[in-house]
Amino acid sequence: MMSVAPALSPRLGRTGGGTVRALFARRDVQLIPIMVVIAVVSGIANPAFLSSRVVSSLLITAMVTTLMALGQTFVMLTKGIDLSVAPILGLSAVIVGFQAQDHGLPLGLGLLLGAGIGIVLGAGNALLVSILRVPPIIATLGTFTVYGGLQFLVTNGSQVNTVPSEYTRFGVASFTVVPGVPWLLIAGVIATVVAGYVLRYTVFGRSLYAVGDDAEAAFRGGIPTTRVTFVAYVVCGFFAGLAGVIYLMRTGAADALTGTQTNENLNSIAAALIGGAALTGGRGNALGALLGSIFLSLTLSAMGIAAHIPDEWQPAGIGVLILLAVVADPRARQGTRVRSRLRKKKDGTR
Amino acid sequence: MSTISPARPWRTPVWGGILTAALIAELVWFSAINRNFFGGGAGMLSQIESFIPTGILAMGSALVILTGNIDLSVGAMAINTSVVVGAALVAHVNIYLAILLAIAVTTVIGLINGLIVTLLGIDSLLVTLATQFIASSLAVSLAGDSPPSGFPDAFITLGEGTLGPIPVIVVIFVVVSVCVALLFGRTRFGRRVALVGYNPSAAKYTGIPVTRTVIGVFTLSGVIAGIAGVVLAAYFNAGRSDSGLSLLLPAITCVVLGGVDIFGGRGRIGEVFVAVLLLGYLTQGMLNAGFSSLIASMVTGLLLIVALVIKIAVERPAGATLLGALRHRVATRVGTLVRKR
Amino acid sequence: MWGAGMSAPASAGTTLGRVAAAGLDYEIRGAFKSFSGVPVLKNVSIDFHPGEIHTLVGENGAGKSTLLKLMSGVYTADRGEFILDGVDLGSPSPAEAQRKGIYLVPQEPRLMPDLSVAENLFLGALPVGRLGFTVDWKTINDSAGELLSAVGLNSNPRTLAGRLSLAHQQLLECARALAHGCGVIYFDEPTSPLSGHEAEKLFSLMNELRERGLTLGFISHRLDEVEAISDRITVLRDGEVVARTDRGGMSRSELIRAMVGRELSLTQRPTRSNVAGAATVLVVDGVESLPEVKRISLTVNSGEIVGLAGLVGSGRTELAESVFGLRGATAGRVTIDGTDISGATPSECIDSGLVYLAEDRGRNGIFSEVDLTRNATSAIVSRLSRRFGLLKRRAEQSDALRAAEELGVRAASMDLSIKSLSGGNQQKVLLSRWVLAAPRAAIFDEPTRGVDVGAKEGIYEIIEKLTADGLASVVISSELEELVRLCDRVYVIYEGEVAGELAGDQITVDALGAFALGAA
Repeated sequence: MMSVAPALSPRLGRTGGGTVRALFARRDVQLIPIMVVIAVVSGIANPAFLSSRVVSSLLITAMVTTLMALGQTFVMLTKGIDLSVAPILGLSAVIVGFQAQDHGLPLGLGLLLGAGIGIVLGAGNALLVSILRVPPIIATLGTFTVYGGLQFLVTNGSQVNTVPSEYTRFGVASFTVVPGVPWLLIAGVIATVVAGYVLRYTVFGRSLYAVGDDAEAAFRGGIPTTRVTFVAYVVCGFFAGLAGVIYLMRTGAADALTGTQTNENLNSIAAALIGGAALTGGRGNALGALLGSIFLSLTLSAMGIAAHIPDEWQPAGIGVLILLAVVADPRARQGTRVRSRLRKKKDGTR
Repeated sequence: MSTISPARPWRTPVWGGILTAALIAELVWFSAINRNFFGGGAGMLSQIESFIPTGILAMGSALVILTGNIDLSVGAMAINTSVVVGAALVAHVNIYLAILLAIAVTTVIGLINGLIVTLLGIDSLLVTLATQFIASSLAVSLAGDSPPSGFPDAFITLGEGTLGPIPVIVVIFVVVSVCVALLFGRTRFGRRVALVGYNPSAAKYTGIPVTRTVIGVFTLSGVIAGIAGVVLAAYFNAGRSDSGLSLLLPAITCVVLGGVDIFGGRGRIGEVFVAVLLLGYLTQGMLNAGFSSLIASMVTGLLLIVALVIKIAVERPAGATLLGALRHRVATRVGTLVRKR
Repeated sequence: MWGAGMSAPASAGTTLGRVAAAGLDYEIRGAFKSFSGVPVLKNVSIDFHPGEIHTLVGENGAGKSTLLKLMSGVYTADRGEFILDGVDLGSPSPAEAQRKGIYLVPQEPRLMPDLSVAENLFLGALPVGRLGFTVDWKTINDSAGELLSAVGLNSNPRTLAGRLSLAHQQLLECARALAHGCGVIYFDEPTSPLSGHEAEKLFSLMNELRERGLTLGFISHRLDEVEAISDRITVLRDGEVVARTDRGGMSRSELIRAMVGRELSLTQRPTRSNVAGAATVLVVDGVESLPEVKRISLTVNSGEIVGLAGLVGSGRTELAESVFGLRGATAGRVTIDGTDISGATPSECIDSGLVYLAEDRGRNGIFSEVDLTRNATSAIVSRLSRRFGLLKRRAEQSDALRAAEELGVRAASMDLSIKSLSGGNQQKVLLSRWVLAAPRAAIFDEPTRGVDVGAKEGIYEIIEKLTADGLASVVISSELEELVRLCDRVYVIYEGEVAGELAGDQITVDALGAFALGAA
């Protein structure tokens, strides 16, 4: 009888692997050196690019996207997608905006209201996808138009344009905690940390990964898959609703086209994909959403300021980034599922 | 000895019948509340004119969806074409050349879509999402500050002229629909499209060239989007530059409403045709009644969802609950976001 | 803290002693199971006891996997009792079975590739922190470390499960059983994909588990292993228990006979006219398609039925797929009537006269929602008759109808979708598909799988008639009786290579069985 193999030595360290190689196998980490390169190259092309004004503006813009990308990540983990985040952001922005503008709704309540709107609208998506099993593309394309229409109804021809300074002062780059660090940036980071905590340290968060990887096995293992996907879409709505208020804080205005006009759908999906999430499910994390958003913002700014590419080309740039992000991930490219990945090759290893 | 009854040459389209009934009811309703609606027949046809580009897009999208893929870039491609043809016309390029050039651009985009989807194995949702925005950026930058307008008379008659009592663009739509219907229902290519959509794996095992077929539908989608764009420019007498979503969403709604299975394989172009009419008149009717276009698109979105649910209810096996039927249906297909190739 | 389903650590001892739960008595009484009216298990009664490795043996289709799936809750039995530690379990779901302490290590490990090893271990029962919804990673990783070393898996618990080799994934599945405190563990053909060394490791683990008092079940067809490791052996055949023995109680040949031997119920092979001198149609020369096909060569003449015998996983289907262009081959040549079709696409193969009836009818054969006509003509879409480019529907429909009638398809109408037909009739429609392609050679992969006994004969007749008309036929089958009935010659494939070639009267169930099991 053979003896048991020697016990392994437990690795110390937090997330991922402890070795440098394992660290750099993570997409979110890979983004950092690329961003540094882009920043440096752009700075050489146009020194104005590296001014603190540009940088903080860039970071603040990224924060709206970060929130949406966080939500989108939750949904993508379950192999889904949410194409209705733009009007959710928009509806939140206009409703909270009107309340703030006309009735002096304080910021704290405004945030709560925005989040609440997002939760309700997200639940609509959740109902369609988790309970009625409508495919996510169709369901969220449908809610995209429905919520967009609602947004139009709510504005009823008018728009929000004088939001109390209580809100807008946060949106200004110079409003900082510490010199050079805008409040909104802190907010975005906090949101990322909280989302990251949920994804990494709660049972719900881990269930998202399991459902995305192999929903059937997850179900057999006792995970309540319907409930998990339901909550995922509600969370996505929550983040989008919150993002609407942040948008308000940043721009001080909102109207019937808020959200859809600035391609927030595309931005959130692109940021999530760049950050390592995949439509095939089971992959992605909060840090990726944050870094992906910053990457996106950085690249678009670099396009405009350093390379002098006109603004109209921004969506094209985002499109190219999406393609690159997916192509750069050989596993997302397969389109095939777990089984073939686990199948061994010649020598029995993966 | 044999008791197999031969295939019937014509199977009654149940869903098509329902759609037609709804269409007739709708037309009757609109005629009742609006004296001028019928306008001696010709008036009725003109009501649908603004919806024609969407209808043409629906035909191209239907082909792609029938293979189990999706093309989100059709709206943007149409917009692109309208700008390209507009810019060319404004630059005094020969009309036919301008049209050909514009359609060639979207044909290439469609081809690229197909190549990336098949050769790189990236899901069509992502690929066409990306190309959608690349195409619309192209359009916006081409259009410059103001989209091209003021086209030669010959081109305008394309958009506003009539062939007898029927507007030219309606004729174009009908011709495109007939061509796509024949292509899908009566050619070898169309047969391959359906089989790939029903079961891409079995299609492979039975010798069908899946890659070539998929590239083919995406390219065709590009061509048809090009035609839609030309019609768009001709009818509105101007190019247009936006993201094309207002064209894309109703087009997909028409396809789903028309009974095409979003997972591929099942569907009839004829029913999509009726769905286009149904949705087109509905949209126009709402606009006539004073609702804004955003409300109209909201109703379209609702209709998209409701259509799917109703269709499943109509087709469910006897005795199954609606919820159960929905679940079963998704379970028996690979019911995920990512379509299998 | 341990979440639901975790057992408290056992008393001090080796790592294994610390983590292994206690074994329980498990008994099956009178289990019956049918699929679509086809009985797969008939009145099966087996008992498992702690401290024992009880092995189930039988050829393909004997019902072993089905039985295991019944025991672990994946399927529900039509009849029968499943008694754990004296308590009737009823019909538990897989999650419930796991909670009760039963774990099935599947033939193909089913893990979440994007989750870490440690997380996979505790999937569904993650240890939680104080608040009840937070994940206790420390406990997870530490206990994972313990469990991994207990099964001899030298791996960082934080590694993503997708990165492990197949052998390690299997060990991980074992560790999962321990993680969930299961005392009854079944292994479904665990060694098929493993190398000799890896299998050794697995067996040493199983022995350890046995020493620790767990109840172990094992399925295998590798008789070397079976004889070495089993305390008791039960032989299944055609869904019934036909023999039981203790270690050493039956000789190898007695075991084989029990597994495959039966009164030949099918009609004898009709004596065929002398096929010597018939033209060679299909030549497969040294085809290699790793890892399943190592090197296979065979020839098939016009008018003869050549069989490919072998166990599941021996590489026969992979060979067929390589020949037909569905899979890449790294070496070898294939010619048909002298034309080289190495590396040709399926479409090119069909045009050259080679067709392939796929093994997995549901996934790769039928278009389930599609009518019979279109299913029948799917292989010859390019050749369908047309006028001005448009298909002539009438012609197509009558061709399909005629082919279906000739093969004896029983269906109410050609417009029905094929899913409404019985398995046998579906298969006949598929056969008509390939007949319409006018092939010179055909590979039939498991032609009677999922076909009930009554319809099998019909399919045999079809194959025989086609062959008599000049077709060069290859039949891949795991039913030895079928091969005896049909074939003029049989190649036996074992682990990717030709282990033997039998002809004429040499083809017997015993001989085939012996070769297929690698025992000859």
